[in-house]
Amino acid sequence: MTHDADTAAARTVYVVDDDPAMRHSLAWLIGSLGLEVQGFASAEEFLRSLPHGRPGCLVTDVRMPGMSGLELLDTLAGAGSLLSVLVVTGHADVPMAVRALRAGAVDFIEKPFNDQLLLDRVNEALAKSQRAWEAAERKRHVRALLDRLTPRERQVAAMVVTGKPNKVIAAEINLSMKTVEVHRHNLMDKLEVASVSDLTRLLLEAEEPSPAAGGRGGKP
Amino acid sequence: MPPVLFLMRTIALAAALLSGAAALSAEPPVRVGVLAYRGEEHAAAVWEPTIRYLGGFFPGRGAEMVALDLAGMDAAVSNRAVDFILTNTGNYVDLEARYGVTRIATLQSARVASSGNAIGSAIVVRADRGDLRDLGDLKGRTVMAIDPDAFGGFQVAWGTLLAAGVDPFRDVKDLRFSGFPVDRVAFAVRDGVVDAGVLRACVLEELAAEGRIDAAAFRVLAPRTAPGFACAHSTDLYPDWPLARLAGTAEDLAKRAVVALLQMPAGHPAAQAGGYQGWTVPQDYQPVHALFRALRIGPYRYLRDISLVELAAEHWHWLALAALALMWWAAHSLRVEHLIKVRTAELQAANRDLLREMAERRRAEENARERQREIDHVARLSILGEMASNLAHELNQPLGAIANYARGCTRRLEAGIIHPDELAQASRAIADQADRAGGIIARIRNFVRKRAAQVEPVAINEAVRAAATLCADRARSAGIPVRLDLADGLPTVMADAVQIEQVVLNLVKNGLDAMDGRPPGDGIAVRTGLDADGRVAVTVADRGHGLDAQARARLFEPFFTTKPEGMGLGLSICRTIVESHGGHLWAEDNPGGGLAMRFVLPARQES
Repeated sequence: MTHDADTAAARTVYVVDDDPAMRHSLAWLIGSLGLEVQGFASAEEFLRSLPHGRPGCLVTDVRMPGMSGLELLDTLAGAGSLLSVLVVTGHADVPMAVRALRAGAVDFIEKPFNDQLLLDRVNEALAKSQRAWEAAERKRHVRALLDRLTPRERQVAAMVVTGKPNKVIAAEINLSMKTVEVHRHNLMDKLEVASVSDLTRLLLEAEEPSPAAGGRGGKP
Repeated sequence: MPPVLFLMRTIALAAALLSGAAALSAEPPVRVGVLAYRGEEHAAAVWEPTIRYLGGFFPGRGAEMVALDLAGMDAAVSNRAVDFILTNTGNYVDLEARYGVTRIATLQSARVASSGNAIGSAIVVRADRGDLRDLGDLKGRTVMAIDPDAFGGFQVAWGTLLAAGVDPFRDVKDLRFSGFPVDRVAFAVRDGVVDAGVLRACVLEELAAEGRIDAAAFRVLAPRTAPGFACAHSTDLYPDWPLARLAGTAEDLAKRAVVALLQMPAGHPAAQAGGYQGWTVPQDYQPVHALFRALRIGPYRYLRDISLVELAAEHWHWLALAALALMWWAAHSLRVEHLIKVRTAELQAANRDLLREMAERRRAEENARERQREIDHVARLSILGEMASNLAHELNQPLGAIANYARGCTRRLEAGIIHPDELAQASRAIADQADRAGGIIARIRNFVRKRAAQVEPVAINEAVRAAATLCADRARSAGIPVRLDLADGLPTVMADAVQIEQVVLNLVKNGLDAMDGRPPGDGIAVRTGLDADGRVAVTVADRGHGLDAQARARLFEPFFTTKPEGMGLGLSICRTIVESHGGHLWAEDNPGGGLAMRFVLPARQES
């Protein structure tokens, strides 16, 4: 974990509902957790001001004029959003729930709901979004580190993590032993790792696919 | 003879007999009653000699002639005032049957060989009457005879005519009786006064012999011949006059009389005076009985009185006809009476029915109104029932909001992070949402309440908004926008607000159903305005599947539906409601796709 993650704590909740009273009251309830809550009257309105790249929790109704909650879900997933989405509906049925969860919703909550349950879910969603955001941040950081390496250093690094000794590496790429050691030292410095195992973890992280916003169990 | 005169003569005769009996204590003269058919003088001239001759055979007594007419003859026999009678064949048969007189000799006519075949009738016409050929031709003619009681002069001919199918009392045009002398009949025929005449056979010949008529001027109808009978005749022949004794006449007297008569010598003055040849043994008078029986006269007169059965048998067809006519009449009368009763009853029943029908019709109309209310009510229940989950959700929105506000407050209070302004704001929101929920419930209750129509000025836009509220959730959940495009300043309409809401709600709901599973496009538009005729118009236009011509033609039929689970009553009821408000409801194509339902209501006249 890097300290950079703390700079973007996931504390914002977005509420999308076409019924103003429902929207306001949800905001009021969720706001009691001391979170920042923003309301939107439609999916389109929300997408227009979508705070990309920030962690947060989206609470959306399903049935709305214009874009529905599920369509919004799909759109967000396609855009690689890091938001955790809670679907809240008064018209719940099983196919809708299945579709919502497949589209990456964190949970599917039926109205009327228990306020504690909703708030717990909101907290969980925020935490999950936070993790996703952190994982994304870290990956972005690793990539930035890797970008510092020269092609030769990248080549050496790839061979180092396979456990090959410097002598073997030097022989395989026709470099002197000394040169390989210099590359190795430099890349460890650039990547800010102290050991081969740290280097290995870092390279593996860089290889992982981007964690989706709603991806379950995507622990970094 | 007038009855009074007859009575007087009878009494006089009886008195004479009594005085005579008193005067001559023993051996009074034998009394012979003689039929004086042409008066006493004539009778005396003809028969006095015979009686005198007869008296010669009753020594010490002699004989006395008593001239009698037919009634006198009857009375004398009945009273036994005479010992013998000398009378014509017919009268004899009558007396024989009624008083038991017995013939002891029969007159033998000069002209006739057989005394048994001595009396007949000749039915004569003028010789030149070619149209009268036989007895049947006498129907419808005029006929003359001597006297109804004359034997040869009528009764014999009567029998023959009857046998020939001509009843002289019925079938001839006119039957006249001339009375004596008999030549009147002959003259009447000759002079054409009558068409035919009845004469005793031989009278014609006698008159001719006397030179009083020309025999060639006459012709006898249906002439017959009989051996030994020289006169022209048309009938059977019967025995001549008999001499008869009464039942109480002494046997000795009778014998003497018989002997006297039978041994009367030919050419005896008495016979000459009587115009006969002599006397012979008594003849058989049975044929006369047969004749009289057929004629129902003399002793057989009673047949006339008791012959109803016979009459019936003889005239059964007329009787049957009469009976039929009677029965028909009776039946007809009964039927008419019955019919009158029936018709009267029917009329009364019809009156009652009419009254009942009127009452029933009033009741039926009331029932129909009641039923229409029921149907409207059921339709409203039905449409709300179909939207029940939507309405529940519609209610859940404010309730859920209330809960959220309240819990948010609680949590803030517990956390001690609440600001009084925020709390006030939240509690106001709570109250607003409670009002909202209450309003929805009130609207539903008002909508489904079973109620009589209340016609009042209605602002159409209000009704449209109310209906839109009821289906707002349905529209939202279907993702179909419902746009209200309401014109300002519309006149009010005289209507039942709830029914108009019902119509709009139904139309919007139908639009939502029609758009199910289709791209919402610009959704449903509800527009109000004025049409060209100044009527208030409401249009509900959808972007649904629209309707083909066939479906549109049947759109307002009850139970016609294009929806799988639809009842098919909605539009039918909508049209009924609109038309009961004096308006029209119809379907149009919505330009750009879908269907537009449109209705107009007359604007309220501002007074």
